[in-house]
Amino acid sequence: MSTGRLSRRDFLAGGGGAAAAALAGASGLRAAEPAPGAMSRVVLVRRGDVLREDGQPEPEVLRRMLNDAVAALLGVEPAAAWRRLVAPRDVVGIKSNAWRHLPTPPALEEAIRGEVIAAGVTPENVAVDDRGILENPVFLRATAIINTRPMRTHHWSGLGTCIKNMIMVVPRPQEYHGDACASLGAIWRLPEVEGKVRLNVLVMLTPQFHGVGPHSFSRDFVWPYGGLILGVDPVAVDATGARIITEKRRLHFGADRPITPPPHHIRLAGERYGLGVSDPERIELVRLGPMEEALI
Amino acid sequence: MVKAAVAWAIGIVVVGLLMSCAAEPPSVVDPAEGIRSGVPAEVASWRAAGEWEAYDRETIFGYIDGHAEVYLAYGMKRCLSQRYSGPEGEPDIVVDLFELASSADAFGAFTHDRDGEVAAIGQGALFRNGWLSFWQGPWFGSIYAEGETEASRAAVMAIGTAAATAIGVEGELPQLLAALPAEGLEPHSERFLRSQEILNTVHYLGFDNPFGLGSEVEAVVGRYRVADGGAWLLVVRYPDEAAATLAEARAAGTADALRRKGAILAAVLGAEPPEIGAELIARPFGGAP
Repeated sequence: MSTGRLSRRDFLAGGGGAAAAALAGASGLRAAEPAPGAMSRVVLVRRGDVLREDGQPEPEVLRRMLNDAVAALLGVEPAAAWRRLVAPRDVVGIKSNAWRHLPTPPALEEAIRGEVIAAGVTPENVAVDDRGILENPVFLRATAIINTRPMRTHHWSGLGTCIKNMIMVVPRPQEYHGDACASLGAIWRLPEVEGKVRLNVLVMLTPQFHGVGPHSFSRDFVWPYGGLILGVDPVAVDATGARIITEKRRLHFGADRPITPPPHHIRLAGERYGLGVSDPERIELVRLGPMEEALI
Repeated sequence: MVKAAVAWAIGIVVVGLLMSCAAEPPSVVDPAEGIRSGVPAEVASWRAAGEWEAYDRETIFGYIDGHAEVYLAYGMKRCLSQRYSGPEGEPDIVVDLFELASSADAFGAFTHDRDGEVAAIGQGALFRNGWLSFWQGPWFGSIYAEGETEASRAAVMAIGTAAATAIGVEGELPQLLAALPAEGLEPHSERFLRSQEILNTVHYLGFDNPFGLGSEVEAVVGRYRVADGGAWLLVVRYPDEAAATLAEARAAGTADALRRKGAILAAVLGAEPPEIGAELIARPFGGAP
């Protein structure tokens, strides 16, 4: 994969559309609920130089990817895009994922935090957390959430997704594991979440396409994809990531090997809980950077 | 009179001795002690990092993200865990030993993932992608290198052998396995389970639990080759015939074919092509009690 960067012309060309229309200003932001027939915009950004030899991301490259994608999502310059996502009066929880084998990269957490503060939110009103959010004072009074996690296969939900990342809001996450986590979308209707998630960032730097053992991890089943998928609509973001994982499994195993159990919580989050759209025909996929072996 | 008094006194002493023996509990050694002392703290160049940790049915969720229900579904009592730090450039190795409700459950947990090469460890073992799984008595073992190398594979095997030996006790296979017809059964495809969620990982049926699987309702499932097609055959044993009859009615429409014999219900799932369901379901049950 070659190195690629988003030019000013690229992001202006990617501007407008449903995402920008939906995001008229920070005060009017809500979780994505596209109108019937409306398209959901999702941005896939990749860079060939984002991963170092040790597999960790290069922080500055990652920050640029994030900003390029946010700009393309909302159709304005990066700084203006962040000001649309959060307002100075907001209290912002950055919901990350601490799974030890494949956590949200600290460099990405820090990049998001830095941009939120640059948009005018006071540092005291910004926190990054995962498993401690029920006790975190910033999350307890959060008016806005930025949701970010790596994509991976998951034993009960099929895939660990942005939708699933909100499960730590409930005291007993295992109560949502039934029927392949079919009801995860319900969590997004709880007061702690509903209407607060301004942006979803699905980390596709080294996604995991298969799992083994109690800890469901092996280095053999991650690969250097070097991407991020961003969107306001969590269903569209996750559905896009799921297509890439499905294709990677087909290539790796040499035959169709469906994700088990089926990650139907993504589709159901849209159909049952109105959180977005999963139909690729209704997803406007904006591609930034090199797309060799993008698998989508 | 004196003789009678002596006899009475002797009787009192004997009874007292017997009572004291009865009150003395038999010396029971916790298998965990044998494991902790039997699995060496240093294997090849891998060294135990800290003490063994123990997790129960609640604390396991904090240790394993997303996979704990597999072991809870097999009646997990506890999990003993130890991490080994590898030499420079080598991956860490994580040892997890789960004590389950019975040896049948340990076999069930072992059969949850049947990929891999057979290894001669414990009562059955498989190795793939740095991960060794085995069962021994009521224990399911997982020895996992966070990345496979030649050296880590050897260390994983050595730790697994030591752990299985330390557990020691032998267990029996689930009796219900005998109910699976031998004809057409693909080798190493049998699984033992008691949970709809586990069955869903073999063949997805949703959340309704049509077969009523649970702690008192156990099942085996095997993969069959029939003509040019294939299917899963599920055999479920119920506490009584009435429960099996009820499940038969509830599962109608879920399975490609159903057949009940007393308290045992068989179902063909995922038949491809669907016509082979009738042929497979007609095969006689094996000798399960």
